Amino acid sequence: MNAIEAIALLGGAALAAFGLRKRVWLVALLSLAAIGTAIWLIAAADVDSTGAVLELTFRLSALARMASLVVLAILALLVLDVWLGEPAYNFFPVALAVGGSAVAVLTLGTPLAIYGALIVALLIPVGSFTFQVHRNRSVEAAVRHFAFVALGGSLGIASLALAASLPKDQPATTFVLLAVILVVAFALKLAAIPFHTHAALLVSEAPAASLALYFGVLVPTTFIAFAEILVLSGLLPAIVQVQRVQDLLLGIGLLSAIGGALLATGALELRRLVVYGVISNLGAALVGIATLSGPGIVGAVAIMLVSGACATQQLLAAGTLERRAAGGRPSARTAPLAALAFVVGGAGMIGIPPLVGFPGRFFVELIAYAFSGGIGTALVVAALLLLIAQLRAGIALFGDVGGSPIRIEPRPVAGLVGALIFAALLLGGVIPDSFLKPIAAFADEFLKAINPL
Amino acid sequence: MILLGFIALATLAATGTKQLRYSAAAFLLVALAATWISTGVASLAQVAVTGCSGLVAAALLFVAASDARYGEEPGWRVWLATAFAATATSAGFAALRTVSAETPQLPLFGGDPTGVTVQVAAFWLLASGAAILLTARTAVRMSLGAVLMITGVQLLVRLVTGSSLALTLLFAWLEVVVALVGAFLIINERAAIDL
Repeated sequence: MNAIEAIALLGGAALAAFGLRKRVWLVALLSLAAIGTAIWLIAAADVDSTGAVLELTFRLSALARMASLVVLAILALLVLDVWLGEPAYNFFPVALAVGGSAVAVLTLGTPLAIYGALIVALLIPVGSFTFQVHRNRSVEAAVRHFAFVALGGSLGIASLALAASLPKDQPATTFVLLAVILVVAFALKLAAIPFHTHAALLVSEAPAASLALYFGVLVPTTFIAFAEILVLSGLLPAIVQVQRVQDLLLGIGLLSAIGGALLATGALELRRLVVYGVISNLGAALVGIATLSGPGIVGAVAIMLVSGACATQQLLAAGTLERRAAGGRPSARTAPLAALAFVVGGAGMIGIPPLVGFPGRFFVELIAYAFSGGIGTALVVAALLLLIAQLRAGIALFGDVGGSPIRIEPRPVAGLVGALIFAALLLGGVIPDSFLKPIAAFADEFLKAINPL
Repeated sequence: MILLGFIALATLAATGTKQLRYSAAAFLLVALAATWISTGVASLAQVAVTGCSGLVAAALLFVAASDARYGEEPGWRVWLATAFAATATSAGFAALRTVSAETPQLPLFGGDPTGVTVQVAAFWLLASGAAILLTARTAVRMSLGAVLMITGVQLLVRLVTGSSLALTLLFAWLEVVVALVGAFLIINERAAIDL
């Protein structure tokens, strides 16, 4: 099966890249070649092809194929940016290992195995979070991330293992307790509010490319893994029967959507605005899942994938703007192309039509209104707050352009990456079927798991 | 039953000491006892893999310490972690017991095939690890808490029907990755302090 070959290739390349990491140009080329080959392998594979390693089963569903391609494409752009714009030799092996782990998470067929691979994927970026450790608090931020992942991961795997070994005649409260632990464990890993404190420290201390790796690649992968684990674990019928878990998901979702948007509105740094924007979108996506409806699930997964791409675009642009400002206030005067990429990425993050972010947000808000007027209104308010935050940042970036000379970046990598992502978002918006159909196929599986009969 | 008591004492030793090297040695004892306790519900290959991962994880933490004095003073955290672990273990076992509901015949020494001791040990390790993680100030105790929790997770996974060697291998690798990342953070943290 091609996905297994892609995982093996990326894992092997990560080891090779670790050995060669000091030769930046060589390791960057190796990384791009490995990611490119993995993309080709997955794109050439048939949907629903299966395979096994030892006794672990792999399945390349339509969603797994599309999400893997999106994740690997984002990784390729990140490698390009780090190579040409912000050389950091630790980044390349980390990116390759994250790529292999993310494809494994998306294609594995057993909930426990998916969870195990996910924790590995979430721990690997710690290697790229730390830099110039005596000048900043990046170690403290990485330690806090490690603690959250270890705690959330262990609790989540424990709850899944217990659910899998429960006899059938258990009271519903036992299943509810396990489902609650699972939801909280994922909230810890996804940095949903109020479990976002580790993310807040990471934002100010970690390099922009590493933040993009986490919020652009790993957060969407974790969200899809959460949905897949719900389907495969057999907990969904119990969740439907007892409304409390659904209420918990809705509560965390609404808190993150509104809280993230409010924090984004008050953010003074560009990268903080982006990360709180992702958290707000994550909240909206959790509300979509909590509705346990087809449009809600399609919208939720679509929102997360688009948010990942836009977060990458905006974080890389923010990194360039900060570097070019050299300690001053980031401005379009010193990096106009990066500033443009940041503003355009903001449009994608909010889901402005005709970009592909629009259908997902529309589905979730529509079904939220059908579910309850209050929830629908809260999501619209969150979207409006995000719009205000992005507009504020855009005005701050371009406000002082008039009357002073504009200096175009010597290496406009963030601008180029932004243009590529924007083109992909626009193309997806023009032909949304190619993006939404694989997610709809997964939503069908989700709904079947809720009501197997 | 004796192994359960041994795991509890070794966990207390790992939690109570300041020096990371002693914590790593105590963790090795925890890992070996946890491996031994699961012999009743696991194949020889699974037991060997789990034992090896515990050994590697303990070795990584031991090496990361660099010298015999480095560590984190536990202080009052030992008592909080122990009280929390004892309460959470009994509450967890009462609420989430998934193995035989009948009163089992527990052997004094070695693993029991009903899985009761395995589950109690798992809950204890998870609760202790969580308490250590939540009260830790530096990477030293966070790494210790994380590897204890993963050891507990490995025991719970062992109780899943049809638990395969592949899953055992996956979680053994996970334990090694957790210890590796913990060791990386310990070294970086120390470098930041020394500079």
